[in-house]
Amino acid sequence: MPAAHDVRLAASALLRNRVQTSLALLGVMVGVGALVTSIALGRGAQASIHDQLLAAGANTIVVTAGNYQVERPPNNEETVGHGTAAAAVLRPSGPDVVVSLDRLDAGFAGGRFIRSHYEDDPMAVHDHPTAKERLGDTMAGLGAAATLTLEDATAIRDELPGVQFVSSGVHENARIAVDIVGGRSWLTRLHGTEADLPSIRRGWTFPHGRFLKAAEVQGSEQVMVLGRVVADRLFGEGVDPVGRVVKLWNQPFKIVGVVGSRTWTSQPVAGDDQFDAVYVPVTAVHKLLNLSKLNTITVTTKSAGETTQIAKQIAVLLRKRHGISESMSDDFTVKSQAQQALGKGLPPDLARIVSANMGSVDQLTVEQLSASLQKTNGTLLALLAGVAAVSLLVGGIGVMNLLLLSVMQRTREIGLRMALGARAADISRQFVLEGVVLAAVGGVFGALLGALAADLLNRWLGWAALVAPLSVVLALIVALLLGVASALYPARRAAQLDPIRALTHE
Amino acid sequence: MTSPLISLQDLKKRYQLGDNTVHALRGATLDIMPGEFVAITGPSGSGKSTLMHILGCLDRPTEGRYLLGGQDVSNLSRDQLADIRNRQIGFVFQGFNLLPRTTALENVEVPLLYSRPLMPAPERRAKALAALTSMGLADRADHHPSQLSGGQQQRVAIARALVNEPSLILADEPTGNLDTRTSIEVMRTLQELREKRSITIVLITHEPDIAAYGTRVISVRDGLIRSDTPNQPRSATDEQIALEPIADVA
Repeated sequence: MPAAHDVRLAASALLRNRVQTSLALLGVMVGVGALVTSIALGRGAQASIHDQLLAAGANTIVVTAGNYQVERPPNNEETVGHGTAAAAVLRPSGPDVVVSLDRLDAGFAGGRFIRSHYEDDPMAVHDHPTAKERLGDTMAGLGAAATLTLEDATAIRDELPGVQFVSSGVHENARIAVDIVGGRSWLTRLHGTEADLPSIRRGWTFPHGRFLKAAEVQGSEQVMVLGRVVADRLFGEGVDPVGRVVKLWNQPFKIVGVVGSRTWTSQPVAGDDQFDAVYVPVTAVHKLLNLSKLNTITVTTKSAGETTQIAKQIAVLLRKRHGISESMSDDFTVKSQAQQALGKGLPPDLARIVSANMGSVDQLTVEQLSASLQKTNGTLLALLAGVAAVSLLVGGIGVMNLLLLSVMQRTREIGLRMALGARAADISRQFVLEGVVLAAVGGVFGALLGALAADLLNRWLGWAALVAPLSVVLALIVALLLGVASALYPARRAAQLDPIRALTHE
Repeated sequence: MTSPLISLQDLKKRYQLGDNTVHALRGATLDIMPGEFVAITGPSGSGKSTLMHILGCLDRPTEGRYLLGGQDVSNLSRDQLADIRNRQIGFVFQGFNLLPRTTALENVEVPLLYSRPLMPAPERRAKALAALTSMGLADRADHHPSQLSGGQQQRVAIARALVNEPSLILADEPTGNLDTRTSIEVMRTLQELREKRSITIVLITHEPDIAAYGTRVISVRDGLIRSDTPNQPRSATDEQIALEPIADVA
């Protein structure tokens, strides 16, 4: 039996019982709508958790030149007398040792820098390090150890598939001064970096201007992006400094932007590593200071779950590139955010969220936090899906009820069609199609309703909701299956009618 | 000698009605040749309806054989019977049984929708229109049944019965809902089908007046064939000419 005719027949049959059809339609719409909304809310929550955790650096890996975890080889006896080596061994976690852009340990790093760097320790008795001592820096894991290059960064970017962004960096302390007579100055963190950094620091926002451009990095241009704190200190709160010129190492740098934070996991405070800081092209630093090495390479992975694995791959890659034999230890340090969080505990912001969710905060890594939040979200999602399933079931009962009514009303017509040669399958197909038409119409409008509901929840209550095209397709498929399933019983009843009784039915 | 279109051999039908067994047919033996116009008469409860249902392949006999066009159809499945009805039998019912909210043309098309293999839509449409035209209703193709007179509705139903070019037309009290003049009109149509197209017609009626149009009259009573006589049929054409002055034939 031809499809077009069937569909027309089904539609006209449905229009016969307008009120009942409308009610059944409403049932399907509510069911499908609930499904779309719940998926949207689930996905929205997931994306929001993912976003916030990525902003907090859950997928960040920092590669640092040198390896502080390795003890100095014992043949360095001449350095022992200085007390400097001892200091280095005893205080392996000094700030310059793990130089990282990471906000998590920025507070600790900023605080300890003056106090614990052995060259600045007023209590330490030392001479300046010899050349041999400098070689030892490789082992000491100082950021200054000359083991990482721009080529290493390129290799990580190009050779590892799970890597999302790579930004190489040199880090210095520097005084920035406004380039006018009597202009204010501010001692802050200087980051020589690349244009990809804002993609790594996902929580960043630019209240004024923009970040460095790839062309500016390529051309070693003297341009600078100020952290929010630096901009406030130098130019006053809220003033737009874009286009102004500041001096760094007596060189003029043009300001192209100001960077601030948009997430609850990191807010700009004086002394932090991200916003009490300035950013210039790494190439400009290399040129001005006549350097060629990097302190750090910051890497993000495409998914937070892969971080540990990618960190291992980076270590393997760099060992190969640096020609390190199996018996030797790394001349670099690879740390994922998760490892750092495990070692040092969580910053207050994250700890607050975690303590609301979990008992043993200290042993929690960001990856575990992520898993825990995802699990909570999964429970919520399952609950919403349950509500949607019940709504769909009720909608299906409505469809079945309508079709049973239709079969009863059209018994005579069914008998006639049988007399004229309709087989059982022809009759049942007609009613299944009625269910499908009803479900398809209900499904389309239900999906619209669900998307609208998700949008309104998002706007009025601020719930994160993400309506994916795939979930709409899924909802429509579910609706069609529902239509078929609800129609099967009425269709079977219709097909099994006795033609003679059906024909004489009043 | 041509073989019979319909051959019933000791056909029996029993129903279980509560605790009672109803013997609707107690043994009918009957041959109907192609081109006959057979009128089956009998009072209600005589078993003529049961006979009609079995002849129409809407029901199966309990015992005995039914050969339709040489094929034993006594024990076919429901779907096989549906195909036989579709291809070989045209039904004309007392109450017309047209689908409401559906045009005359679409009503005539219905049997074609269940034909195997399925005809393309334009071909179906053309065939349905041809059948309607042969009933003089080409200009009523887009009308719904409610917009047609009783006679016109029954002619739409006859067009529907003819559309698949069956060898047999089963008419069950086709004039029951019609006035005398329209009844004569319908009978003329059936007679013409037999004369011009050699279609075999089996007519069920309880009215002796209507049975008189057949070439053979079979009377059924208590589930048995009581009489089976050849008949000189009344000519509906002649009667219609007699009625002409007051007729408003479309």
